[in-house]
Amino acid sequence: MNCEKVAKAIPLYFYGELPLAEEEQIEDHLEGCAPCRAELERQKALAQVLDRRELEPPVGLLAECRHDLMRAVYREEAPARERSAARAWPMLQEGFRALLGPVWRWRTPVAGAALLALGFVAARLTQQAPMAALPAGVASETPVLSMVRAVQPEASGKVQIAVDETRRRIVSGSLQDRQIQRLLLAAARDESNPGVRVESVDLLKDQALSREVRGMLLYAVARDPNPGVRLKALEGLKPYAAEPDVRKVLAQVLLKDDNPGVRIQAIDMLTAKPDDSMVGVLQHLVQKENNSYVRRRIEQALETMNASVGTF
Amino acid sequence: MAQDATGAAGARLSPKSDEAGLIRAVQRGDQDAFEQLVRAYDQSVLRLAMNLLRSAEDARDVYQEAFLRVYRNIHSFRFDCSFHTWLYRIVTNICLDCLRKRKVRKEEGTVVETSEGPVDRINEFEEESAHADPERELFNRQLSQRIEGALRDLTPRERTVFELRHYQGLRLRHIGEILGTSEEAAKNCLFRATQKMRIVLGDFV
Repeated sequence: MNCEKVAKAIPLYFYGELPLAEEEQIEDHLEGCAPCRAELERQKALAQVLDRRELEPPVGLLAECRHDLMRAVYREEAPARERSAARAWPMLQEGFRALLGPVWRWRTPVAGAALLALGFVAARLTQQAPMAALPAGVASETPVLSMVRAVQPEASGKVQIAVDETRRRIVSGSLQDRQIQRLLLAAARDESNPGVRVESVDLLKDQALSREVRGMLLYAVARDPNPGVRLKALEGLKPYAAEPDVRKVLAQVLLKDDNPGVRIQAIDMLTAKPDDSMVGVLQHLVQKENNSYVRRRIEQALETMNASVGTF
Repeated sequence: MAQDATGAAGARLSPKSDEAGLIRAVQRGDQDAFEQLVRAYDQSVLRLAMNLLRSAEDARDVYQEAFLRVYRNIHSFRFDCSFHTWLYRIVTNICLDCLRKRKVRKEEGTVVETSEGPVDRINEFEEESAHADPERELFNRQLSQRIEGALRDLTPRERTVFELRHYQGLRLRHIGEILGTSEEAAKNCLFRATQKMRIVLGDFV
């Protein structure tokens, strides 16, 4: 095998993608050929440089994706539930036709009145639609609430009714229960209800040993619009303040969070364990920080690390 | 460099039968089984999308779109290839579409123009902490820009083959199956990708 052929085969050789016989030929050649060995070294160097460039998804992104996906899947299931309700409707209609007999010919006004009476029955029927599994042995159920969203009369004299349903389930269990944790993790991201988010984060904050909970807390610190939620999440991260993913988010808070209370909490956590790698960030921050307490803490931390307060 | 040819999933769903059972349960409409199946593969899917598209936002979109397609179409999965291959076919198709659209729009991925020059949003905080060592910072910045440039020079297919081989550790034969092409074509793609990158990154390697 000559140098030209070896040079062409080196990337595949490096990735172990050559047949064994060809691999042996290359190794024989490399033993006696310095330029080709240098070529292999360059291939290794390229791989090392590119290894360093591998991106890690930002902290919390995976948990966020999972949450959004399951929400979308649940939304996809909704039409199926409506179809199942629609299938139940003709059956009920037949039942009422038999019951009401001749009165059925005044079907328009009767249908309106019957609708109210049917609401409960239809809701009971649609309850048969598949639901997400409940945590074993910890659930109880209240009656179904339903609301008619649209009524569509058809030429045949039938009527199509779209019904929105809300089920309230009471679920109880220990904080170590995975299903309970999953519900709380979902609630911690419920955009519509900051009160529920504060409560959920508060309950989960002592469970930050779990990767998922930690991811949620980091996400809440970085992105939750409510400062109360961000503060609770910071509390949960306190024992992990020395870890790189937490420190990165704390630096982000100091750079971007507009709430001084949150920044104070972040600087306290960050400076509790001074770390030389933060010097650059702290020097940058001290120039732009307008809260005197936070600025003082940054200056103290820089002094502790024997670093200058300004950048030159 | 990454995992074995089977990807990260093998480690999470031990015996093959577990996976087949889960897939059948999903086909029967079991949402919990779907969630378990997603969790077995989603880290490697997210990492692949993140590295191919160099953007957290785009990676999130790919994740959502890919697993929703799985959910909608799993009833048509007939076990005539591995679930990993089927899933990665979906993921790489979405990523390739995105990369091709970007080629048309000449989009820059994570790099944004600011008043202080181009900044990689993903490394925003790493760059901040590197202020302490300006020389290192300059080197890293130049290297980052050069790598981004090298990756942009690859065709979407070369980029995907390289990503799957180098970062995800898949064998070229498997990559060929995922991309609906031969092992030989995947080899050629990998060769061209490495050559192009070595030219662009010449002084750094």
